Amino acid sequence: MFNTRFKVRLKFEKLKTLDISWIMLMLITLANALVAETADKSLFITAVICFSIAFKGRRIMDYFMELNHANKTIQLFMRGYFYVFPLLIFLADLFSEPLAAITAL
Amino acid sequence: MNTVTESMFPLNGCGLVRNEPETVNKIPGNRAIWVGIFAELTEFAMFFIVYFIAKAHYPEQFNQGPLQLNTLAGTLNTFALISSSYFVAKSLAAIRVNNPEQSIKWLWRAVMCGAIYLIIKVWEYHWNVDQGIQTNTNKFYTLYYYMTFNHLLHVGWASGSLIWAIFGLKSGRYTQKNHLGLTAIACYWHMVDLAWVIIFPLLYVLR
Repeated sequence: MFNTRFKVRLKFEKLKTLDISWIMLMLITLANALVAETADKSLFITAVICFSIAFKGRRIMDYFMELNHANKTIQLFMRGYFYVFPLLIFLADLFSEPLAAITAL
Repeated sequence: MNTVTESMFPLNGCGLVRNEPETVNKIPGNRAIWVGIFAELTEFAMFFIVYFIAKAHYPEQFNQGPLQLNTLAGTLNTFALISSSYFVAKSLAAIRVNNPEQSIKWLWRAVMCGAIYLIIKVWEYHWNVDQGIQTNTNKFYTLYYYMTFNHLLHVGWASGSLIWAIFGLKSGRYTQKNHLGLTAIACYWHMVDLAWVIIFPLLYVLR
């Protein structure tokens, strides 16, 4: 009896987390689309978008991919990818001229 | 030992990954799929680095490029991929509570999302051509076609792997107690979604 109730509670908990994650990801995507249609180019907008990429990536990895309970090395590399690339997007925007200079042939 | 483990963890029986002793703190799915996932992510990383360098050299093209693209198509595709990832996660939760029928239904929904993504992408490419946007229009569009077509191929074969998983569930190959193959396929699908999480803002949002 206790075991069954425990299982049902855990199932509800799981479904709730997944549902909330899905709704959050859809809303962030909608906000991104709004930015694409209305906002002008600025470093602040770039920073917000980079943050949204990092957040969406982490949410998918932790709750859909279930990496928050997985092997630590895989966690490290996957989470690292979604910290490094949003940061690189921002830095490439911030230092576009030096980047063009050092990559000129 | 098995008895102790099974009494400590209701083996795959509650829909939560943290109650799967064969998954918690281990490599989800199998090692081979993670070699593939990291190889694919490295490939996409190369594209992103090329994008940064090209954007630094052709700022005007990368400033104007996203304005000409169909944001609606990009947004709908993002919705399709996020929803498909959600359905795949639900499918995995269903097989853990020994409900293969429900698991199959969730996977079909994910496959439908994959198909919707492919249809929207084809429509978007036709729309682009009508607007005069070709692969050689400028550097931004060359990168746009290269990245999105490459991603489209990944969605295509990952959808095929989801169909393979459906047949695995139907044939009883994946069960409540043994569904590591399904976990591996789910991880690959989520990786395809993760790549798009970066591609969408790079090509459609940022200027």
